[in-house]
Amino acid sequence: MATATGPQMGVTLYSFTNEWLTRQFELPTLLAEVARRGLGPNIEIIGFQNFKEFPDVSDDFAAKFKDMVAEVGLNPVSCAINSDRFLKPGQQPIDDAALVEYHKRQLRSAKKMGFSLVRYQFALPVHLLPEIAPYAEELGIRMGVEVHAPMWAGHPAVQAYAEMYDKLNTPVLGWIPDFGGTASRIPESMLDAARRTGAAESLLDKLKDVWLEGGMSHEKAGRLREWGLAHGHAPLHIQAACLAFFILSNEDPKSWAQLVDRTIHIHGKFYGVSEDLVEEAIDYATILPLFRDGGFTGTIVSEWEGHAYDTRDAFVQVERHQAMCRKILAA
Amino acid sequence: MLPVERVIGEEGLAATPDGLRLAMRLPWYRSLPFSTVSVAALAIDGQAVDLSGARVEYDGQSWPLAAQGEQVDTFWFVRDSAFLVLPDQEASPGAEREVALTINVSPPYIPGMTRTNPQTATLRVA
Repeated sequence: MATATGPQMGVTLYSFTNEWLTRQFELPTLLAEVARRGLGPNIEIIGFQNFKEFPDVSDDFAAKFKDMVAEVGLNPVSCAINSDRFLKPGQQPIDDAALVEYHKRQLRSAKKMGFSLVRYQFALPVHLLPEIAPYAEELGIRMGVEVHAPMWAGHPAVQAYAEMYDKLNTPVLGWIPDFGGTASRIPESMLDAARRTGAAESLLDKLKDVWLEGGMSHEKAGRLREWGLAHGHAPLHIQAACLAFFILSNEDPKSWAQLVDRTIHIHGKFYGVSEDLVEEAIDYATILPLFRDGGFTGTIVSEWEGHAYDTRDAFVQVERHQAMCRKILAA
Repeated sequence: MLPVERVIGEEGLAATPDGLRLAMRLPWYRSLPFSTVSVAALAIDGQAVDLSGARVEYDGQSWPLAAQGEQVDTFWFVRDSAFLVLPDQEASPGAEREVALTINVSPPYIPGMTRTNPQTATLRVA
């Protein structure tokens, strides 16, 4: 079991995207199921996935939500917010003032519902942080930017944020590592999903090679597409294979050590944990001790993203992921 | 699309005094402003449908499909269906129609990306 002095385990409702989109649960029944299976108490919710009133949640709904989580004994830790700048496709993004206000609306809603932090995105230009951070301080809510593939500790965007963090020197700003940026391999279950669409082994072998090469996700996808078309692979098969470039990259798992000090929350990204508690693609045994030994005491939320290509039981996957993390943390 | 995503909504196709009404689902994992979602194509029984007079109904509101790009602050909740109302189309309840619908999504936090989501289904008119 997690203790008060080490990382806590929790879950993001994003793991249950398939169950949510297919209307198998309403919000109260989904929360109850998470609680019944002991996957909390700490939870993360994507504002724009589970709250119809987002980004402007009413006092009435906020009160109902607080009752809902209290009733089943869950603790709303993190609310994921979004930097939606391109509201008219193909046109200019919204101006800075509108984007700052868009973040403030979401911060107010998260605070009102009782969340202690928000997940925000690098799509927020770094020069706007000095306008938003004081508002978060005033509200009393922390903000963690999600370091998600293709970002990692050594990425220039992360370094630019780190410089601004140093300059602003406020406890409300931090990191939310997402382990998909330091995957050791492409998950076999993702390759199997591409095989089910009819993708040939030669295409998947090429995918594995290109995935290890340098470059931005869309460049690598372009490279595989060009090679695939030249070698007679169907566009649909190439599209299925290209998913890997957009959700996973293979930076050094040990690189997270650079971000431990300002880490306020963690996305325990995973694709498939076996019965003997091994994750397919991400090397948890290397990563988790960095945070435990570095003094991280926040929450690691289990984030199953296999739903992007698979319909396995998400609850079973989350249970195994939490068991795996607890075993590694206790070692 | 994700394995469970769909663009033709569970409520299907219905005959109404205003024309045919088709349920649509948002093929994404989170709610998005309607301005970032477009109906790229619709065919019924293999015939392309002229969408110039079509309207969108969602949660008590309604707007011409042609003005959808202006709906920057109306969010399509990812669990809800929106409805496409086709005034020039009619069918009798109980009839079957093959509906081919394509919805394009341009996520507002990923510049330059547009995902095309086609789905075809045979629907019984309600």
